[in-house]
Amino acid sequence: METIKYTYKENWLAVQEKAEQEMLAELEQGNYTLEHPLVKYNLYSISPLTAVVAFKTPEETAITLTVKGKTKQADMYHTFPKAKTHILPVLGLYNNYLNTIELRPYRGTASAFTIQTPDTYEGKEIKAVMKTTPEYLQDNLIFEAPADENLASAFDYAGDTRWHLSVPCIFDLKRLKNGRLLIGTDRLIKLPYYVSGLYEMDMVGKIYKEYCLPGGYHHDQFEMPNGDLLSLTEDFHTDTVEDMLVLIDRETGAIKKTWDYKNFLKPGCSKSGSWSDEDWFHNNAVWYDENTNSLTLSGRHIDAMVNIDYETGKLNWIIGDPEGWDEEYLPYMFKPEGDEFDWQYEQHACVITPDGDVMCFDNHHYGSKNKETYKKAKDSYSRGVRFRINTKDKTIRQIWQYGKEQGAEFFSPYICNVEYYNEGHYMVHSGGISYMNGEPAESLGAFTRNMPGGTLETRTVEVCDGKVMLELTLPANYYRAEKLKLYTDGTNLDLGAGKQLGTMGVTPEFETDIPMEPCGELLPASCEASIEEEDDRFTFHSKFEKGQMVMLLLEGKNGEESHRYYISTTAVPYLAMCCGTFMDSDERSTRTFVNKAGITGEYDVRVIIDDKKYETGICIKC
Amino acid sequence: MMKQVEAAEFKELAGKGLVMGEFFSTTCGPCKMLAFVLKDVQKEIGEDLTILQVDFDKNKELTAEYGVTGYPTMVLLKDGQEVGRMQGLQQKPAIVKMIKVNQ
Repeated sequence: METIKYTYKENWLAVQEKAEQEMLAELEQGNYTLEHPLVKYNLYSISPLTAVVAFKTPEETAITLTVKGKTKQADMYHTFPKAKTHILPVLGLYNNYLNTIELRPYRGTASAFTIQTPDTYEGKEIKAVMKTTPEYLQDNLIFEAPADENLASAFDYAGDTRWHLSVPCIFDLKRLKNGRLLIGTDRLIKLPYYVSGLYEMDMVGKIYKEYCLPGGYHHDQFEMPNGDLLSLTEDFHTDTVEDMLVLIDRETGAIKKTWDYKNFLKPGCSKSGSWSDEDWFHNNAVWYDENTNSLTLSGRHIDAMVNIDYETGKLNWIIGDPEGWDEEYLPYMFKPEGDEFDWQYEQHACVITPDGDVMCFDNHHYGSKNKETYKKAKDSYSRGVRFRINTKDKTIRQIWQYGKEQGAEFFSPYICNVEYYNEGHYMVHSGGISYMNGEPAESLGAFTRNMPGGTLETRTVEVCDGKVMLELTLPANYYRAEKLKLYTDGTNLDLGAGKQLGTMGVTPEFETDIPMEPCGELLPASCEASIEEEDDRFTFHSKFEKGQMVMLLLEGKNGEESHRYYISTTAVPYLAMCCGTFMDSDERSTRTFVNKAGITGEYDVRVIIDDKKYETGICIKC
Repeated sequence: MMKQVEAAEFKELAGKGLVMGEFFSTTCGPCKMLAFVLKDVQKEIGEDLTILQVDFDKNKELTAEYGVTGYPTMVLLKDGQEVGRMQGLQQKPAIVKMIKVNQ
């Protein structure tokens, strides 16, 4: 029987384990030495400016590995502990370049080898403009997480790319206490940007754990003092989105605690300019404060940061313009003090400083609670801001800001973050700037980029005591920025198979059956349909015309109960698009994700389009 | 009873007991799907409920009168008074819940 296009995609964990095992076998079979090491470029497939070098030394010795920079100050180096067998990550290669790597044993003679990297961007490398000094940035890189089709990348003091991923891992990239990275997976689970969970990986691209979540992951995550993980999520079986938080057991991936924001706020209690019934909160950040055992949550669509008790989930306070809030919440809100004060609007990335101040990136989108006084992009601004709050008498002071003075040139209506390094030392990342024909655009960058005359910009700034120490400008939008070193004091690479933890849960189904016999025809070629199967789910890709009624069906071959999944052919007017990485420029394109969890048996995949039930020719075993 | 009606008939039937007005468009995929869902709803609720389907594009005055701005929209009336409203494609349990609360 004819079929639509079918592919099977192996999980990264399996792909990486196989590659690692082959490398180890090759190392054992060969005679690899300091002078003639085994070099595996991009061993783990997803981090193309890295390699692994492996060799043995007759005696235990520490090795200092240096990736030679284009200048001396751009060298990336690390000393690994003494050993006889050395399996070392090579980090910080240049793209499309003949890189020299030096291996120097403790008090010994250095040896060098080269790696010619391909054009890992395939002609689409982002040209960064970095204004800083090597003395300031040292061997740190500025990491930029994706908001459009450009993938996570990191830039050195000269603006050269020294690290990037080749798969769309999205949202914030954070370093864990063990030195590894925690970032959203590349497995989209629901449009527009909800992914299956989080990857714990290292810079060389090795994934140690994939934490799967039934409601997916979006926007932000936080490592708790005991190592457990907080992740923003939602419940796919309800009518609302981006209004839940879970605590993940670091060892098992089990969900230990869930916070549903509808338990402490009523949807509609406050409405920002981008508010909708479905996305009433739009949680874009979480911060746990050990001093008060509380959680601070940034809600873009309520124009506020709210703080709740970690144990009880009860509301403690709300930072936001009180105008328009339901009266019952006013006792939780603050009264401004001091001469210079502005409320934040549609903010991102809340941070609690060591002394209890509250910071955020104030996007200042719409700049008002009142529709009559909404600000146009050209009249607006964005900024990093720090508030000092008195939770007893409910007063608030603005004690620092950066960005307002720059007006619309620093205005990002979405995404962005602020980082606290020390007193007076901050990062302010305005990663969502966009222009339409040279004027500040009203639309979000994720949409502007596809419009004629639309251009994007990111400006990542670091200020110390009021002086700009670094400014990175990029011709694209980036969700957040982080300053990190490539190498850490940790192991930097651990061998062994990665683990998949948790579950993506059961995909919501459509209850109503449409009684119809199969027509026996294959899905029309105009649909350009395909199925990509993985070990724990499959994805149905297809194009449909607006207004068609479409349903994906799994019909049991042996009498198993059928499963139905409605496919919308209606264009969705998203009011928020914090990550446009997965957006398709063709409005007819659909992607339907079906998890195998909760389904057992062998199923024919069929598709109803209006009054016909078509065959795909594909059978899925669950 | 579930039937497609024009404005005049809608107004005539709207005040009689529990009535669900479904405002749809023939060019709308979710509306086509909702029609199947409402058949199921009718089966479960029985004759206590009358479902009146109104073509949004052909009955502009009626849609304006009921403040319907998009489709599909379901407006639940009890003796002519609006007691519930849902927008977009909904699953049967959510619709049945709204009806039973107002039965």
